Parts: sequence; structure tokens; C-alpha cells
Amino acid sequence: MSAIESQFFALGETDRLARQDTPLHRLDGRAKLLATLAFLVTVVSFDRYELSALTPFVVFPVALCLGGNVPGRWLWRKILFAAPFAVLIGIFNPLLDRQPLLMIGGLPISGGWISFASILLRFTLTVAAALALTAVTGFNNVCLALRRLGVPRAFVVQLLLLHRYLFVLVEETMSLVRARALRSCGRGTSLREFGSLTGHLLLRTLDRAQRVHQAMSCRGFAGAMPALRPARFGGREIVFVLGWTSLFVALRWVNVSRWLGATVLGWWS
Amino acid sequence: MSHHLVEARELHFTYPDGTPALRGVSFRITHGEAVALVGANGAGKSTLLQHLTGCLLPAAGSLLIGDVYLDKKTRPVIRRTVGMVFQDPDDQLFMPTVGEDVAFGPLNLGLPPAEAQRRVREALAAVGAEHLIDRPSYKLSGGEKRAASIATVLAMSPNILVLDEPSSNLDPRGRRLLIEMLQTFTHTKIIATHDLDLVLDLCPRTIVLHRGIVAADGPTEAIMNDEALLRECRLEKPLRLQFRPAT
Repeated sequence: MSAIESQFFALGETDRLARQDTPLHRLDGRAKLLATLAFLVTVVSFDRYELSALTPFVVFPVALCLGGNVPGRWLWRKILFAAPFAVLIGIFNPLLDRQPLLMIGGLPISGGWISFASILLRFTLTVAAALALTAVTGFNNVCLALRRLGVPRAFVVQLLLLHRYLFVLVEETMSLVRARALRSCGRGTSLREFGSLTGHLLLRTLDRAQRVHQAMSCRGFAGAMPALRPARFGGREIVFVLGWTSLFVALRWVNVSRWLGATVLGWWS
Repeated sequence: MSHHLVEARELHFTYPDGTPALRGVSFRITHGEAVALVGANGAGKSTLLQHLTGCLLPAAGSLLIGDVYLDKKTRPVIRRTVGMVFQDPDDQLFMPTVGEDVAFGPLNLGLPPAEAQRRVREALAAVGAEHLIDRPSYKLSGGEKRAASIATVLAMSPNILVLDEPSSNLDPRGRRLLIEMLQTFTHTKIIATHDLDLVLDLCPRTIVLHRGIVAADGPTEAIMNDEALLRECRLEKPLRLQFRPAT
């Protein structure tokens, strides 16, 4: 199975996870979205050399996974899949920033390495939170929540359709790639062929976009995606958002790792 | 005047690249009729169907649907009257789940959610797909997708049902179920298809398009037995009729 195909089936897995029925799944999408946004903002607000104060934040994605019955293995594999992007962003830090910041067993560690580690940690935390949010809410409900929170309609419709037609696009790509593979006799793809393949894919996409738009217009589409389910932002949602947000604020001001370390060392001495 | 009337008068349409698609098409379809629209590839079937839903507007001639002439302003009214089932269900099913997809039309018509829900249940029941309501549409089988896309149109209570190649990509059993289902509908039906056996089952009347004009318009039985006409229009006698003498 090609890499594209296996990713395709993994996409379906996210939707399967989102269709589970746990108290966390039943919570209004807006509550989970707001808590996740508060989480993201707090995590990225730290200083670039920060590591210890960031670690306790792992509690949020872990709680979402435990409460929403999301397998850690699935989450971890998804994070690893996206990891090269984060590595690319941070990889030059150790070369550019060589100022030693701390010594571990006589080995000087430069600021670049620490900021690189901080980037990776932030990446892991934020991507884990976003993935866990999608797995316990469902992509469509995330979009609906965005709309109900006032995100412009055009943007939300784009996201929804992107998700819906991702599957169709992958299927089209797979059939193109297979058709080429069957007649390529094991040769690699030349640049010329690659250009033609992607060009075809673009043209097919445009054609389909036009047909989908016609189908939508035929059923009265005028820019708005109507929602069937009524929204309810009740007590449980308020407690969820306030609870998590206050925890993030507390963790932002109190470095729990350092405090814990100091306390444990205090006991020993 | 009936809301179910469809009347084309000298319809002309040419694509922007200069390809003439319709060159003076005229016909009149009345209340409750089931009419097949057949013709070779490129005969103008798809172009004509796109006119019926207002996706294309005639360059010359007129199209009367119900008591409204098609133009830019009347498009929304026409789309409420005509329900179009697309050839590829993936074009038609764009919402996350089947239930939401079927509700899309009624909600856009401005119906309250409770009424839309009722219509969703009715439409899915009419195509025997109540169990699909919460399933994501991209996970359905070909037959299920077809049933769901027909339900999306039924939920808008159209007077006229237009189907583009409804039996394409269906397995024999799925095709038979579709035919039986369409037989129960009392709407005015216009079915564009290459499946001439399906036409024999569903449509007492057939319009043959050839190179953008109406080559024949009459009782299906007579047209399907006119071998010279069928050959001329790049069609073939339906299998079922090939092994018995012409009537």
C-alpha cells in the first residue's frame, strides 16, 4: 500500500474516533475549541528557551485522550508524521545560537539546542492538542463551532469542503498514480510526467469543483452552510472552559516543574 | 397552469469555445410524464439537463418550467420546482453526513429544523436508506450513494425530477432496486441515460437527441424498435428487444 493510501485510511480513523459517545464527545464543540485555543495561546506565549514550565501542559492532550477514548499510539504516530516540519523550522537554531546556556555533567549546552528542544516540545504539545480536539469533536463540529464563534462563513465553508473532498482528491490521485504505475514498468516518475499528472489532477479538481457548485446551487446554496443540530452551551461547557483556562493561567505563572524539583530536593537535603 | 409542465422552444446553446451543443431543441412534457432523454455521447443531453436546472441559460429560444420562463432572475424558483440527481453522487453529497446532506436543501429553503428533520426522515424512507442517516457519505457503497443523492433531492419536494445516468456504476441488483424505487415516484420524471433497458421499464415516452437537435420524440416502444433511427443516432436496440420480432 502506498504512503498516500495508508494516510487516506488514517483519515477515516479520525472520523471513527470522533463518532464515539463519551461525555467529552457530547460536550459542545465550542467549549473544547475555546479550551484548546487558550491552551495554544498559553503554550506559544512562553520564552523561547523555556522547557521546564512547558512540560506540565502535557496534562491537557493527555486528559482529552483519556476522557475521549483516543488511543495514544494513534496520536503519537500522527505527531511523528508531522514532525519533519517542526524539525526543519528549528534545525538551524543550534548553528546560529551557540551561546552556552547551561552545563550538564561538564558538557556545555548552547542556547540553540535549548530553543530547538523548546520548539519540538511546543510542536508536540500544540499538535497533540489539535489532533485530540479533532478526535473528540469531529472536524465538522470543529468547523461548526468556529462558525458559531463568529469566524467568517466563507472560511468555514472552505474548511468543510476541503475536508469532504480530501477523500475524493486522494481517490483521484491514487487512480492516476496506479494507472501510471501499471504502464511504467518500474521506471520512476520523470519531472515531465509529474507535471502532467499534477496538471491533470488540477483540471479534474476544477471540473469537479464546478459540478459540486452546481449541485449546491440546485439545492438553494447561497453562501451559508445550514446546521441541523441546535447548539447548547450549558453549565458543563462553562465549567470545562473556565476550569482549563484557569489551569493554563496558573501554569503560565507558576513553574510547577521547578517548584516540584525544588521541593523534592528540599526533602533530600 | 400546471407546475409540472416543461416546455422547450427552439433552445440554442453554444459553449464558449464555439462548440454548438443545442441547435434548436423543442419539446413539451406534461404533468406526471416519465420521459427518457437518450442520445450518443456529445448529443447534447448534459447541456439540456443543465438548462433544466438553470446551471446554463439558453443563448436563444426559451424554456418554460411550470409557469415560469427560465432566466437569471427566475433561477431560484426553477430550482425549487426541478430536482436534479447528478450522475456522480460524489458531486451531490458534499455534507459531512447523509442526514445533514439531505437536510441541506430544506434548510436552505428556510424550513425550521424540526420540519427539515421530518423531511429528511421521509426522503430517506422513500429510498429505503433510513439507516444511513448518520453515516459519512464518502464511506457509502455506490448503491447507497445513489439512494442518498436521490433522497437529497426528494427532501426539497420538487415537482419535476431530473436524473442524469441514474443506473451508471450500479451492480445489477442495485440497478433493479433503483428501477423499482423510481417506479413508485409520481413526479414528472426526465431521465437522461444510455441504459435503454431501463428506459423500457420506466419511461413510456422517449426523446432522442442527435447532434443538438431532437431526432425523434414519441412512444418508447416504437422508437426502440426503429433500428434505422437508432443506428443513425449511434444507439442500439435494447437487449430485451433484440431477441423478439418487432411489434
